[in-house]
Amino acid sequence: MLELWETEVVVAVCPHCDWRYVVPTEKATLRCPHCFAADLEPVVDDVEQLPYLRPPELVTPFTVTKAVADKRIEEFADGIPFAPRDLNPETLRSRVQRLYLPMWLVDSDVMATWGAEVGFDYNVVSHRERYSDGSGWDTQQVQETRIRWEARVGQLERHYDNVVAPALEQHAAMEQALGAYALDVAQPYAAGDLARALARLPDRAPEAAWADAAPTLQAAAGEECRQAASADHIRQFRWSPTYTGQHWTLLLLPLYATYYLDDDAEPRPVLINGQSGRVFGVRRASMQRAQHTALIIVAIAAVLFLLSLVAGVAGLAAPPLLVVGGIGGVLALCVGLGGIIPIFRAWQFNRKPVETL
Amino acid sequence: MTQPFPPPGFIRVESAIPGIVVYAPAPEEDEAQPAIVEFKCPQCQATTAYSVVDGGLRCAHCGYYEPPARAIVGKGAQGFEFTVETLSIASQAHGWGETRQELQCQNCNARATLPPGRLTHTCPFCGSNRVLQQAAPQDALRPRFLIPFKIEANACRPIAENWLSSSWMTPKSLKQSTVAGFMGIYLPYWTFDTVTLAEWKAEVGHQETRRRYNSATKSWESHTVTVWRWESGRVRKFFDDLLVSGTAKLSRVLLTQLQNYDTHALVAYEPQYLAGFLAQAYDVPLEKAWEEGREAMRAATRKACRDQASTSQIRNFSMALDFSEESWRYVLAPLYLAVYRYNGQPYQVMINGQTGAIAGQRPVDWNKVWLAVGASVAPGALLSLIGLLGIVLGALLPPTLAVGMVLLALGVVLLIAGGVIAFNIINKARRMGDA
Ligand SMILES: [Zn+2]
Ligand SMILES: [Zn+2]
Repeated sequence: MLELWETEVVVAVCPHCDWRYVVPTEKATLRCPHCFAADLEPVVDDVEQLPYLRPPELVTPFTVTKAVADKRIEEFADGIPFAPRDLNPETLRSRVQRLYLPMWLVDSDVMATWGAEVGFDYNVVSHRERYSDGSGWDTQQVQETRIRWEARVGQLERHYDNVVAPALEQHAAMEQALGAYALDVAQPYAAGDLARALARLPDRAPEAAWADAAPTLQAAAGEECRQAASADHIRQFRWSPTYTGQHWTLLLLPLYATYYLDDDAEPRPVLINGQSGRVFGVRRASMQRAQHTALIIVAIAAVLFLLSLVAGVAGLAAPPLLVVGGIGGVLALCVGLGGIIPIFRAWQFNRKPVETL
Repeated sequence: MTQPFPPPGFIRVESAIPGIVVYAPAPEEDEAQPAIVEFKCPQCQATTAYSVVDGGLRCAHCGYYEPPARAIVGKGAQGFEFTVETLSIASQAHGWGETRQELQCQNCNARATLPPGRLTHTCPFCGSNRVLQQAAPQDALRPRFLIPFKIEANACRPIAENWLSSSWMTPKSLKQSTVAGFMGIYLPYWTFDTVTLAEWKAEVGHQETRRRYNSATKSWESHTVTVWRWESGRVRKFFDDLLVSGTAKLSRVLLTQLQNYDTHALVAYEPQYLAGFLAQAYDVPLEKAWEEGREAMRAATRKACRDQASTSQIRNFSMALDFSEESWRYVLAPLYLAVYRYNGQPYQVMINGQTGAIAGQRPVDWNKVWLAVGASVAPGALLSLIGLLGIVLGALLPPTLAVGMVLLALGVVLLIAGGVIAFNIINKARRMGDA
């Protein structure tokens, strides 16, 4: 089925996180753009047995160019005190990969009977009065909007297009990190789309995704019933739908993925929404580097202290040196105390909640 | 779904979206309201009328009785909100017809012209009763509730005669005159329910005694001073069924004297209750009545605020007041009207058809009044004169000078007291005459 992609692709899997991708043949051994902990391994045996190998019908194109993505990376890396050595624009940029995440869209005909309470706004007149001995009464009329709730029932025979249903178990987490995508700009899949990018294969069947689509459908139907009743509000919408003619479409969503290694050499992903440019990643100061700097400062203080001590001993013979020794001692103490500053800065920065840019 | 669709009582309404069908509860249709309700005895075809004693329709001819179809709702009677829509409709139209109505008696074919706002008609030729029910501009604006008559028409005469002889200011011969022809009429009233929330502040005066050393007399003197302190407070006042008359056709002064209707007796409107009585629709629109009601409520709330102050000496009083939970009702309340003549002059009497409270105009015997005025002023005047005389005589007979001065002082005090009494008497007499 891979030939349907109309370009040279293979299926590759990450031995660490088990994510499965369709990748251009020449990228089959890239670092996994999800966990960044291992390199991908091409799947050779029984490839055709894997589910959902067919190419997507729709692709939401990258509207954030590589240049813009680079700029966002620079902003991400900027302003972190004692940033981990690996967290710098150059390394982040060099590791950027284009990645597509899959999502199901479902179209369906719905027949249902429904019931709800619909609310109509209306205005009531009330009054406010002020009185003072000098000026007497001053009356002010005020209007207040209230809602009149009424029962409605009805029948519905509608077609709903492009109801979103997750194709990945991690869909909700991904959406939280990357923000929403505008789906109306999606275009039919073209062979060139995968020339420089990887595409994650769905791990959720449409049947499983349907459970997530149904509430969305119900909300859409409720909103339409509100409009049908010419009401301003709706509540307690209930229905008994029958779905027919369901049609599933696979859609790909673009993002840039890169990573840096933290103090423990663990990869930390940095993701950029390929449509909105929103950045997700953990910005943290490196405690190791902060401690390192602190240690250097303490060492300088120790040297200073030793010199002052020498000056002090010499001062027994030549009293003016005693003064130099005293000043040196105080200076050493000050510098030594200053050693706490880097650690404090790093701690303070890391205390802030994880930022998304 | 096992239930039938649509559920009973729902009708199809317009839908703004193709493919969606909408059903709404059918609007509550009050039993089809015929434009004119006739009251005929099903047994003997004679005219029936509402019987105050029985609380239902009674045929005077054969005794047939029909109880009212609806129960007492009392204070639970539905109130309506002050919606912008209702206010604008209520300000334009009157409750049930504002033009004269032409009517032909179905019984004897006599023609009649009714004044605007009249809700009932009793044919003067054959005595048949009718209740007219034209369409109101909004359902809430037709009379929805009423207080039925509790006092019988023939109980009015003793009440009125008792009242005529109850004041010494009226002429003696008035006791002989009779008040007859009491006419039962349902008058329009607006009732208002509201909560007022007020916050007030004011300077409140307190009397304090201070001692001061007077260096001239070399002694301590005490004197009182008023000390002003700021006070503030909150008042939450609930107004339940404040009544405001819906007609300007009758004297406000008299109406307010007998407005002690008890709204616990409210019943849902039924044409039966009106059979045989006059009934009048409102001519004071809701908004105007509401304004009047609000003025009364804010005045009462202001008084409640001032009563909270620790003394009654108050200055720089100010308050802010919010009306909330406002609702209104349009009700009919029973009243008996009669006119009696005395010395060829007509005088109006009104009796509350529920409580029997009476108010009206009474002729004043001004001779009696002036006599009473004279009697109250005389002692003071006389004493003052004697006192003056004593002072004058003091020139010849010195001891009378002191007596004269004492008597004069006493006389002046009595004169002032008598004047106050006389003023009150004259005021009361005037109110009685031209109310
Ligand atoms: Zn992986
Ligand atoms: Zn009869």
